[in-house]
Amino acid sequence: MAAADSPSAALRRRDLCSRGIRLAGKMRSDVIDLLDTYVERQGLDASASVVTVEGVPVAAVERWDEQTGTQRLLENLTAYRAFRVLLAQMLEEHREQLGDADTGLGRALAAVLLQVSAFAYHLEELLRLESRGPPSEEGTAPPPVPHLGLFERKLRGLGVLRELAQWAVRSARDLRQLTKPSPGSSSAPSWAESP
Amino acid sequence: QNLKCVTHNLRKMACTWDVSSRRRHGQSDFCYTTNDLPPPVCFKTKEKRVEIPVPESSTTVTITTNSISGTAIATKQFEIHSADISFVPLTPRILSLTPDFSTSTLNLKWSDNGSAFPYGLDAFWQIQILRKEAKEKVTQVTYYSKMTHEDVILSWNWTSDMPLECTSHYVKIRCYINVTQFVGPKDWSDWSPVKEVPGKDTEPNGSGVFPQDTVVAVGSDVTFCCVHEEGQQIERMSYGSKVYPLIRLSSRSSAIRVLNASASDTSGTNVVCRLSEDEMDGTVLFVGYAPDVPQNLSCETSNFLIIKCTWKPGRPSGLYGKRGTNYSLFERISGKNVSCEVNEMNRERVCGFPVLADQKTYHFILGVSNPIGQTQSSLLVDLTQRVHPKTPEKLTVSGNSSTSVHLHWFINGSFAEIRLLCQIEISSGHSEQKMHNISMPGGKFSTYTAQLNTLHPYTKYQFRVRCSAADHFWRWSDWSRVEEHTTLEA
Amino acid sequence: DSHIQYERVGADVTMKCGSMDWDAAVTWTANGTDIDESHLNGSYLILKNVDLTRSGQYSCYEGSSWHLKYQTYLRVGTPPKEPVLMCRSNNYPKGFYCSWHLPTPTYIPNSFNISVIHGTKEMVCEKDIYPKNRCHIRYLQLFSTVKYKVTLTVTNALGKNSTTLTFDEVAIVKPDPPESVVAKPVPNNPRRLEVSWQNPSSWPDPESFPLKFFLRYRPLILDQWQHVELSDGTSHTITDAYAGKEYIIQVAAKDNDIGTWSDWSVAVHATPWTEEPKHLTTEAQITDTTSASTSSFMPPPTTKICDKGAVVGS
Repeated sequence: MAAADSPSAALRRRDLCSRGIRLAGKMRSDVIDLLDTYVERQGLDASASVVTVEGVPVAAVERWDEQTGTQRLLENLTAYRAFRVLLAQMLEEHREQLGDADTGLGRALAAVLLQVSAFAYHLEELLRLESRGPPSEEGTAPPPVPHLGLFERKLRGLGVLRELAQWAVRSARDLRQLTKPSPGSSSAPSWAESP
Repeated sequence: QNLKCVTHNLRKMACTWDVSSRRRHGQSDFCYTTNDLPPPVCFKTKEKRVEIPVPESSTTVTITTNSISGTAIATKQFEIHSADISFVPLTPRILSLTPDFSTSTLNLKWSDNGSAFPYGLDAFWQIQILRKEAKEKVTQVTYYSKMTHEDVILSWNWTSDMPLECTSHYVKIRCYINVTQFVGPKDWSDWSPVKEVPGKDTEPNGSGVFPQDTVVAVGSDVTFCCVHEEGQQIERMSYGSKVYPLIRLSSRSSAIRVLNASASDTSGTNVVCRLSEDEMDGTVLFVGYAPDVPQNLSCETSNFLIIKCTWKPGRPSGLYGKRGTNYSLFERISGKNVSCEVNEMNRERVCGFPVLADQKTYHFILGVSNPIGQTQSSLLVDLTQRVHPKTPEKLTVSGNSSTSVHLHWFINGSFAEIRLLCQIEISSGHSEQKMHNISMPGGKFSTYTAQLNTLHPYTKYQFRVRCSAADHFWRWSDWSRVEEHTTLEA
Repeated sequence: DSHIQYERVGADVTMKCGSMDWDAAVTWTANGTDIDESHLNGSYLILKNVDLTRSGQYSCYEGSSWHLKYQTYLRVGTPPKEPVLMCRSNNYPKGFYCSWHLPTPTYIPNSFNISVIHGTKEMVCEKDIYPKNRCHIRYLQLFSTVKYKVTLTVTNALGKNSTTLTFDEVAIVKPDPPESVVAKPVPNNPRRLEVSWQNPSSWPDPESFPLKFFLRYRPLILDQWQHVELSDGTSHTITDAYAGKEYIIQVAAKDNDIGTWSDWSVAVHATPWTEEPKHLTTEAQITDTTSASTSSFMPPPTTKICDKGAVVGS
């Protein structure tokens, strides 16, 4: 159970949440732009449906409205830490495959990677407001890059960016849930209970 | 009746015959004379087939057919001349059939069984490549060799027009030996048993699109295939944005044929196999050019430490990243080789090579290669004739006279082995510019000085300096920064 | 025996008189009226190139005894064309509904079957009592990248047809238009109009799923709309209205992050506040110089325009 909120902690959390919502919104629009560029540069079909890609955090969730605040933050943090690794792998692969040929896509990838790292840090800040704080990353070695053909890697990249775009939407919704006053209380609840 | 004799090795021959009577019969008595010299050699045989030596000219054969109880039923005599004996080589034995999937090449090895034949005979080998479930003939090739009276392992390569993974390939071989001195009819051997290289469409988890992530030259014709699970249907296969007609190879594999492929984008051209239930598989094809011969290869040194070679790449290869063009600089005299870090997007290419002690002349070979091809350009230079000094730095002007000044400047580099020619540009407000050339021994990371006289008193001057090799002019350095100085009053 | 017989428009129909022989003497009636001999071939009734008017009850009587030997109800119609299917979520994230119709009538009964697949899962589409051709699906998962595949199959006695839609969860999110749009002049401000509205009542959770709005307005005398996008809040003050000119105003809504814009709300009308002309008699001064009306509530000429400018459009 989280400690009862002092007014400054509540204010700090509300501020972090609203900044997080804006960061998620910006990240989403950048990811959507990156997706368009990626689809075009990789010669893919925008309507291609990509089977769930192994190792990529899935944004889809059941009974989303029943999650507690802590659950939301932890699931978000786990996802964005994974995306940080996945995007870094994509960037490395991009440099290996295309060298200096497509710096535009490389820069866009690097920019989104930066935002994902920033958002992960933001989530850690929010979790620090809780007594438990964010889980440490030590010992969580990044999953090895699966040996795939180039086309499968292109599809995998598409899958990563699509899931990230959905996560950005989900994160904004999650953060809005955190700032929602639960019925009958003036300030936002501590997250353990808030659905 | 119908006595026929066939030899496979010119020494022994197998004779076979028929028996016309419908009565049941037992063993036969077979007698033959060797080159018509008595006595005949006789033996009993149940088979209607015997193996006897090949006669030099002819041989007489007598066959007596006996009843079950052993009483003679019929006897017949045959005269076999050399011309009646057929020569059919033994069926060749395939030693190995090895696929190289990366190049879609099959390597066939077989023994020519030459030890059984005299030296120097011409041998012809017909090799058939078959494909698909129906073992359709893809090609037939005749390979020629000469017998050496020893068993030689022959080897032959065949590059398929489609990836070997697409479907099973089969090979069979037969031979014809031109025994010139053999007077009888000569014929092809039987076909060898078929040797198979199984395709991915025979493997449980063989699905995929092939070839995987390959590189071809612009204008190539390429066959792609989609291997899928049993029961799955291919809805369509596309190359880039174009859908191609399917060529069925087997129940689990279909192909498309792309002709005259044009250059692909930086990320390659996708080949997509869309299967039922929204499943999709694919590969990427990179279509580019072999590297162009580097143009305007030029090498110079600015400091006698590093030789900088530059060149114009010519037509872009269209291939990037790890498929991009690799450059290496090989110096023939020293045998030293340097690989060059090159930015594919820069119009001009640069590569550095260390100046070697006690070596004045350099024979450079710029090697250029990419997955499609390679080329090179060479250049022989005398380094002392390719000096392009760096910009003179830290120019200072001093002087406590009304008509002369001292200039000092520094040049980064080691020019001890040559003389330098420096040019000082003198300009002052109202008079036109003057150039003053001065030659001096080169130094090692030195500061150089010059004195200018016959200046006007109490006059504000702007000075700047540039240098080059004195003996073999190659290129001026850039101008130094301008330095101002006013001469004293007279 | 009596039953329903379906035939396509334009078909040639042959009816036998039950078990009667070809050469038996019979009488055929259509809806009780004797049919002309020219349509008979022996005891068979031949109807060429039937059209819709041929639908009806056909009876066959034995010649002398007038005993009813055969009766059928002929329904002339067409096989169904590819149905038009539309799916939309106006109450995200609760669920979405799909509705359908046939592009052209078939004149005979049709049955509809809808299947909703999400990845590998089949979802239940609960049919609405009214309207009949609609059903709704509850989202089991949110934020999914897996596409939904909706297949509608329509069948009737003369044929079958189907259509399939594939879409992402976010693509079909389209709120209903904003409600209770109110436009008021601002006293002493001849160039201002105050517009307010409410979230569509069908939108379940505006806090977690906030809507943004698009306001368009123009004076009736011009065709060119002016637009302003508002990322939060449900009111806006127009500050550049032409003085004294009646304005038409509409609002649309969209989820802040996903989906498409709603249709435009009902249009409301308003005229900015204007200065009282000094020389007019006292009576004139009583009349309020501001008038606001809403086109959908365009009052019939006899009714007095609501005088305090606050007009509700929903």
